Amino acid sequence: MTTLVPVTYKGGVYRHDEIMDLIDDLGGYIVQKHVMAQDVVLQSFVPRDDIDLIRQIAKPLAGEVVEAPLVGTEIAVVSPSLEIHHLPHTSCDIAEYLRRSGAKTNMVGLARGFGKRIANLNDEERDVINEHDLAVYMLGSFEECIQQKFPVLRHGIHVPIVVTGAPDRETLMRIIDPPVEGYVGGMGRIMHRFKRPDELAKLDELVDEVSRTLDARRDALAKDPLSVFPPRLMAIIEERIHEVSMLTHPTPVTAQMEGLRVKLPYDLYADDVRSLEVADGVTVGDIADVTPSRMRNYILIRIKPFSETRILV
Amino acid sequence: MPPLNYFVVESPDEVGRAAYERIAADVLQDLDLIKVVDRLHIYVDPKVPIFVAAGLLRHMPRAIRVADFANVNRGETEVVLDIGDETYLAPLLQKLWILYGKENVDQPDRFTVVLPAGVAGEEELEQLVVADPSETLYKDVIYALQYIAPEGFKVRRQYIRDEKFYYVASEDTLSGDIVETLVAPIFAKMGVTL
Repeated sequence: MTTLVPVTYKGGVYRHDEIMDLIDDLGGYIVQKHVMAQDVVLQSFVPRDDIDLIRQIAKPLAGEVVEAPLVGTEIAVVSPSLEIHHLPHTSCDIAEYLRRSGAKTNMVGLARGFGKRIANLNDEERDVINEHDLAVYMLGSFEECIQQKFPVLRHGIHVPIVVTGAPDRETLMRIIDPPVEGYVGGMGRIMHRFKRPDELAKLDELVDEVSRTLDARRDALAKDPLSVFPPRLMAIIEERIHEVSMLTHPTPVTAQMEGLRVKLPYDLYADDVRSLEVADGVTVGDIADVTPSRMRNYILIRIKPFSETRILV
Repeated sequence: MPPLNYFVVESPDEVGRAAYERIAADVLQDLDLIKVVDRLHIYVDPKVPIFVAAGLLRHMPRAIRVADFANVNRGETEVVLDIGDETYLAPLLQKLWILYGKENVDQPDRFTVVLPAGVAGEEELEQLVVADPSETLYKDVIYALQYIAPEGFKVRRQYIRDEKFYYVASEDTLSGDIVETLVAPIFAKMGVTL
């Protein structure tokens, strides 16, 4: 079996459809396509052996192919609030940097996430964060505050968590109990744009920490594979439910590591999605749970593992 | 940063202290207040929890009068204001409309305002106060301190008069004598009595 690796293709608009066709022909999947003025960015999965071929074909088009460890993941960037204290710098800079590595990031601004004693997480916030592959918690400057408020903010969250804060990594590891999956120290409340080399190095450290955490999850998934590869299901949905093409969202169908978020109203389309045939006699309903998302009225598809369905598409 | 004459951030938590020093510097720079604030002392203790910022402003800007940005040319039948800087044109027009009525204030082009001589003869037009930047400056300084303070510290007491200002914030109720016990000693460190 060929292994698909996450890559980002960056190039011009001119003849980029040839690259899209090529990826398709090679058996890869395009998870996200961004057209920005003259530039095109394709977040995709391609067979490992064919990367050089794509590079070769993209060369006359001045396109470049780089490995992007976070393609096909949806990450929640959790900020204590959407006040001026956290925006735009820390929240947006982090979200944007993760996006450059291929992730689809959603910013979650908590209603009452600020303060040491008064910090809170409500059920909607908890459920929305749990719909992601990973949550990055951006905490502040004081060890004391992080120690006291973090247990409240993580209450009920079962997705992997990466914490950032001003205290160093060792201090974060010491004060957070039970431990979380990743820590990035030296990055607290920052009131200016991340641009100095040491600040950018911190962002790289965050990307490494996030991809390390997700790799661990991927390894676990490899032991009991999903019934269908999410980008494959995504391609099928995009092809068969034509309403998806009329949505104006940047990612009408968002790929996650273990499922998909379809940005169509649940009430109207859930049955269509459930009865959609993936392969001969196998419908989406057989291999996945189609549930309402807590994010607006979207549909959330959670693909079941092979051990549960005994089906591998 | 800054050409402040005195800038100290104190905290029992060294990491937090360094972070707040940078935050305060960035905020003052962003809001263009470095030239306005002369001394600033910040004390943060997350254990209490308390945030105190106290300081002094440099000289406050004086009130803006018509003569500062316009020439007043008195003619036989009309008074022509020749506007040099448009910054305060909008508040000037508002003032003139109130004083002389909209029908008497004519603005043939961007940089000219014409008044009939009979209506606007008596008063000292040149000395008319158009705007007082210190009003917005007070707001800017308090906003900056709100911005610097930890977000969760919602209970606050603020003061700004003449050249002195302070801002005390906490998550919990502030005690009634907080100014005497916490703020006054900080002013004393800067060599000022509140």
